[in-house]
This record gives sequence, C-alpha cells and structure tokens, in this order.
Amino acid sequence: MTGGIDRAAAAAAATPRIRLEGIRKQFGSIQALRGVDLDLMPGEVLGLVGDNAAGKSTLTKVISGAYVPDEGRILVDGQAAGYTTPAEARAIGIEMVYQDLSLCDTIDVAGNLFLGREPRRSVLGLQLLDRRRMREEARRNLDALDIHVPSLDAYVEQLSGGQRQSIAIARAAAFAPRVLIMDEPTSALAVAEVEAVLRLIRRLADGGTSIILITHRLQDLFRVCDRIAVMYEGTKVAERRVGETDLEDLVGLIVGGKAEKLKGHA
Amino acid sequence: MSTTPVYERRPTGPRYHDFLARHAQVLSIAAFFLLMVVLFSLNTGAFLSQGNLLNLLRQSAPLIIVAVAMTFVITTGGIDLSVGSTVALINALVAIALQAGVPWPLAVLAMLVLGALVGLVQGWFVAREGIPAFIVTLAGLSILRGVALLLTQGFSIPIASDNWFVQIGRGWFLGLPFPAILAVLVMAAGALVLSSTRFGRYVTAIGANAEAARRAGIGVQGVTMAVYVLTGTAAALAGIVIAARLGSGSSNAAVGFELDVIAAVVLGGTSLMGGRGSILGTCLGALTIAVIGNGLILAHISPFFTQIVTGLIILAAIWLNTKVFRGGRRR
Repeated sequence: MTGGIDRAAAAAAATPRIRLEGIRKQFGSIQALRGVDLDLMPGEVLGLVGDNAAGKSTLTKVISGAYVPDEGRILVDGQAAGYTTPAEARAIGIEMVYQDLSLCDTIDVAGNLFLGREPRRSVLGLQLLDRRRMREEARRNLDALDIHVPSLDAYVEQLSGGQRQSIAIARAAAFAPRVLIMDEPTSALAVAEVEAVLRLIRRLADGGTSIILITHRLQDLFRVCDRIAVMYEGTKVAERRVGETDLEDLVGLIVGGKAEKLKGHA
Repeated sequence: MSTTPVYERRPTGPRYHDFLARHAQVLSIAAFFLLMVVLFSLNTGAFLSQGNLLNLLRQSAPLIIVAVAMTFVITTGGIDLSVGSTVALINALVAIALQAGVPWPLAVLAMLVLGALVGLVQGWFVAREGIPAFIVTLAGLSILRGVALLLTQGFSIPIASDNWFVQIGRGWFLGLPFPAILAVLVMAAGALVLSSTRFGRYVTAIGANAEAARRAGIGVQGVTMAVYVLTGTAAALAGIVIAARLGSGSSNAAVGFELDVIAAVVLGGTSLMGGRGSILGTCLGALTIAVIGNGLILAHISPFFTQIVTGLIILAAIWLNTKVFRGGRRR
C-alpha cells in the first residue's frame, strides 16, 4: 500500500470483499450471534478470536452458507448475496477448510486435490480418469504454493499432519476462491509444519484471496494477520490492526469481563 | 563443543518399497495361490490336467462374478450378505420362467433386471435410510431365500437340455468354458471401473472418508445405492450361470455362498473397513478358495475339510492383514 494508486484501484480496495451487517442467529433460547458487523477486504487476512462459544464458528458457518442468519445481510463485493447453502456459497467463491481434515486416506495426493472434479479422457468411448493431467496440474498447484510432498503418488495416509493440512488447504485454494475460511488450521501441527502453513496462508493472501483465520494460537495471528476481530458472547467486541495491538491487549479483549474476576483470584 | 547443525533433505527410500507396502496383500495371496497350486499338483496328478483346470474355471465363475461386485460394496465400507439368497431366488425363478415357456433371452434379461431391483431396494435402505448394510442385507438373506422356497415349495425345477439356455453354463467359446469367459469379462470390467473411472474413485473415497466425499460434492447416496445394484445384478448372473450348468433351478442353491464371496474379497486384500479394494486380489482370492476345494477332493481328503481349511486360511489372512502388512500407513 504505497502512494500512487489510481482511483479505480482505490475504489476497489474500499469495497469490502465481504461485508456483514447486523448478523443475528439464534438457536432456541441461545443467542449465538447478536448483531455482528464485519468487513473483510480483498487480500486481507483477518484473525477471528474469542473464547469458546463466543460465536466464531457460528459466524464462519454463516459466511460459508452452512447457516442462514435470522437477521442481517451479507454483501459480497458490494452486492447483496442471497446464498443459503455451502454449495451456493462455493459457487460465488467462498471456500472453507474444515478443522477435521476432509481428505481420503487411501487416495493419492493428486487424487485428493481433484476429488469430485477429476479430469477425464476418452478412451474408446469410455470416460477414464486422466491420471497424467491430474498429476501435472497437481504438481503445478503445489509448486505454486510451495508445498512439498515426497510423492504425488503417495497415499495421503503416508503424509505428516502438516503435509495433510497443506494438501487440504491447497485443495480449497485450487478452486481459486475469493474468500477462504480456515478453522484451526494449525492446531495439531508441529513447529515447522505451523511455519509452512502460515507461509501458505500469507502466499494465498498475497495472491488476492481474502482469508478468515480462526485459531487459539494467538502468536500465529501476529505472524500472518492484517487485522484481528475479537468475539465475545455473540458480538464483535473489538477490532485491531495487528500493528496496534499486542498479546496482552488481545488476551484482555478475549476474556473481557472475566478479566476482573481473574484479577480477584490473583 | 557444539557443531553447526547440518540441514539436508532426508533421502527417500527406493520406490519399490511403496509398491510392496501398497500391494502386500495382493502379492501375499498370489504367493499363497501359487503355493496351493504347486502342492496339489505334486500330490495329485489329475490336478494340473487340462480337463480339471477348465472344470475349475467353470465352477469358480459364479464366485468370481459375485466377488468382483462385492469388492465394490466392501470398498465403500458396506457388506452384502444377501447374494447367496439372490442367487437361489434367480436360480429358481429362471427355471420356473423357462418351464412356463418364456423365451430364454427374455428370461435372462428379466432376471438381471430383477437382481438389479433387489440391489436397488437394499441400497435404498442403506444409502437413503441409513440402516447398517449388515442389517439390511441380513434381512434380505432371509426374505429372498424364503421367497425362493415359497415359489418352488422346496422342489428342484428341471430345465430342458435342448433349450439353448443351458449353453450359458455348459457351452464353450474359443476353447474355454462359457462361464469362464463371462467371469473374465466381469473381472476386466470391474478392474477398469474400480481403478480408472470416477465411479470407482468415488467408491474408494466413500469407504475412506464418506464425509470428505460428500463435501467434495460427490453424490454419496447415489454411488452407495449403485454398488448394491452391482451385487444384485452379479448375483442374478451367477444364479443364471448355475441354473444353466446344472440344468435345474433350486431354492437350495448357493447356501453359504455369501461367505465364500466375502472370504474371496477379504483374502484378496480388500479392507472390510472400506477405502481399499483390489479386483485382482479378489480374483486370486476366489481362485484360491476354488483350488482348495478342488484339490482336497482330488487328494481324496474329506470334502468336509474344505470348510475347515477355508476358515483357517481366512483367519490367518486377516491376522496377517492387521498385524504384518501395515507398512507405510501412519495410522
């Protein structure tokens, strides 16, 4: 973000990729979301933090189409979006990488990247899997994201947790999404694997994808996020640019009112 | 004292290790099959005779045909216990139809469609209603055998030897028994579909992680129903072949057949947990079971031993499957 941006780009940059306005969602007597406003800019990495049951997962499920909000509206690139299912959300470029890995262990890396949309070639009128094209395109996709796996023919079950997570993210990224939502992508990973996944997130954002990152590992947020939004009891209580906050400030925002009680115990 | 750490990419082992780990079970059943063949040919001169081998192929054809379809079902993580009863029902019904004067091509076609419908109904309960396949097909096992008994009142129904129909079970083509040709065609088609088509890929994906398959936009329910249609149709084909070979239809045909079929599939390295299936392994498994039965008879050992030996081999194979051949898997 240097000077000399032309007006069109500035205007485009000013239109949020996703804008949430007054999102409410209730499950019986429980108010999961109590009027949430949130903007996500193009190419921005937004950290979403909060205590358990603060509403982070519900909010991402609203964005990814798994839940339809009771009230409020979602604007995608300035247009009111009326999607009501994950499939419809995916069709306009909103992808979600799930916490529990959505990979098939006994299928190879290339096969997993293309699961559900395998390229085919016609042999004597039969539509057979085009393994060579799958392998070539998988190689290109993984290289572009700087993901290393021992072999594209390896079954996913042979890979480490971090490699599996990278494959899951690469799979979502292969659909060239405009928005990528990740729920705890680094929770079960070793140090080096976390680094690799964080670099991957940053690379995707630099490519223009807007990313929402849910994590309990607060130190990760300072590594990749541009902005951090804090949820508390179904509302967004604070928003901070990464440069304007630190770990202590963030912890205080997350525990909120409970901080007073904690002090009492100390 | 401290030295600078050296960072280098770890070397990967030779690629054939992956191959061996992945195909360990197929290779082991292949070795076991060859061992059986060698043992029986040393013991009995008749085993390797052309007549016996062709007879072996003819007799094992129904087992191979149904086991290929069963491989698809088990690879999705399901099971079909009703195939023996479906064989009996079709076996009896085709004889009844031919006796009533229905032209044989029409009877054969109707039976295949009926078998597919039987599979479709069971597949609907499994895929759409979410009832465990074990329960649905156990009910099917009972109901279908019962219908066959009711229709025949327990009597065997003869098929006229001059009807061309019996050639399906007794005829020859290119020097091979016709049932063996059918079995080879079914096997080739099954191997191609499982390994090289989207359908086969989705069958594997559903067995490996049905939720991931659903999220990837795969029509999980449709594919699951389809595999039961495959076993139903294959069981119908087997019932037709058996009726044609024996020249009669009986509600008592193929008792315990489902167990031989499942044994063949599991011996071949297909995982009962789903996600892993091999048509080649299944065919080797089926041939091994057939060879054991045939060899024990030729060696003048009581045929009752066949069941004991088959059971022991299955137990040993599964034991090896879970304890020994786990190389390369992380979990």
